[in-house]
Amino acid sequence: MKILVIIPAYNEEENIEHVVNNMIEKYPQYDYVVINDGSKDSTSDICHKNNYNIVDLPINLGLTGAFQTGLKYADLKGYDYAVQIDADGQHNPDYIADMLKKAEEGYDIVIGSRFVTEKKPWSPRMAGSRLIEMAIRITTGKKVSDPTSGMRIYNKKMIHEFAQNINYGPEPDTISFLLKQGVSVESVQVTMEERMAGKSYLSFGRSISYMMRMMIAILLINNFRKR
Amino acid sequence: MSIALRVLLIVVSVLSMIIMMRKIRNSKFQIDYSIFWIIFSVVLIIIAIFPKIVLVAADLIGIQSPVNMIFLVIIFILLVKVFYMNIQISQLEYKVKELIQKLALSEHKDSEAEKNKDCRF
Repeated sequence: MKILVIIPAYNEEENIEHVVNNMIEKYPQYDYVVINDGSKDSTSDICHKNNYNIVDLPINLGLTGAFQTGLKYADLKGYDYAVQIDADGQHNPDYIADMLKKAEEGYDIVIGSRFVTEKKPWSPRMAGSRLIEMAIRITTGKKVSDPTSGMRIYNKKMIHEFAQNINYGPEPDTISFLLKQGVSVESVQVTMEERMAGKSYLSFGRSISYMMRMMIAILLINNFRKR
Repeated sequence: MSIALRVLLIVVSVLSMIIMMRKIRNSKFQIDYSIFWIIFSVVLIIIAIFPKIVLVAADLIGIQSPVNMIFLVIIFILLVKVFYMNIQISQLEYKVKELIQKLALSEHKDSEAEKNKDCRF
């Protein structure tokens, strides 16, 4: 069984070395690929210096495009499962084993969720997560406890589908759309660290427009999409 | 606001929404780009259903005919949209240029490497 860990990285010079070294030393059973999304800092140099397996995008594409590059790579090389993790060190690869076990039970997508057995706190950050969870429940009838989690496993079928199509970002609206289309999605309890260094992508203004986009896509657009 | 104008606003908004959805359905349009048009259409529909909003706003600014208020708002929104699209075009052009140059340079590097290989033998 071939498993690929996809690590999209944009300006992660402070974290990338730690994350990839950890991957290589502790989890040699998984293959990995770093997708450098046109970083302006020395992310690429660090990876080449350490001889990491890296794909350099010449221009910044954004997470959707970068992650899709990773899936195209996985599709091309015939991987059975692709794992999406962040380059900022908040995802612990320890949990990949649990998630894989679930995926092998026949689920198409397995989400590493912080809130399967744990309760979701009532913080402003989680308000957005709750709203999306509610929207997914209304339109699909299914519960996705941590829809914004960036740690997911996709099986071979999903790798191919994500690699080929437009509007298949690694985001909650795609999950919701696929759930509606009968794809099986399951969650596995994980814990996440705070990001080690650097700044988070989501500012307040960005969060608002992100939420707006997600709600419109899940509640309205997904009803009209065709697979 | 006349009934005819209100109906027209609703019809045009609904039509543009339908066209948008069909484009997305046929995988010809990115969801991210449709959000603006969806919100725009919804706002027009709300204005058509509750013309009171426009009347009050027109009164506040001192515009006599509420229809002019609608025109003003639409023109303003579209102006902003054109402005942002212009920025996007500029960024796209820059990215394409960057890509072309990178591709050409890497091809040149490849052919140079091949030539060097030929020389050795």
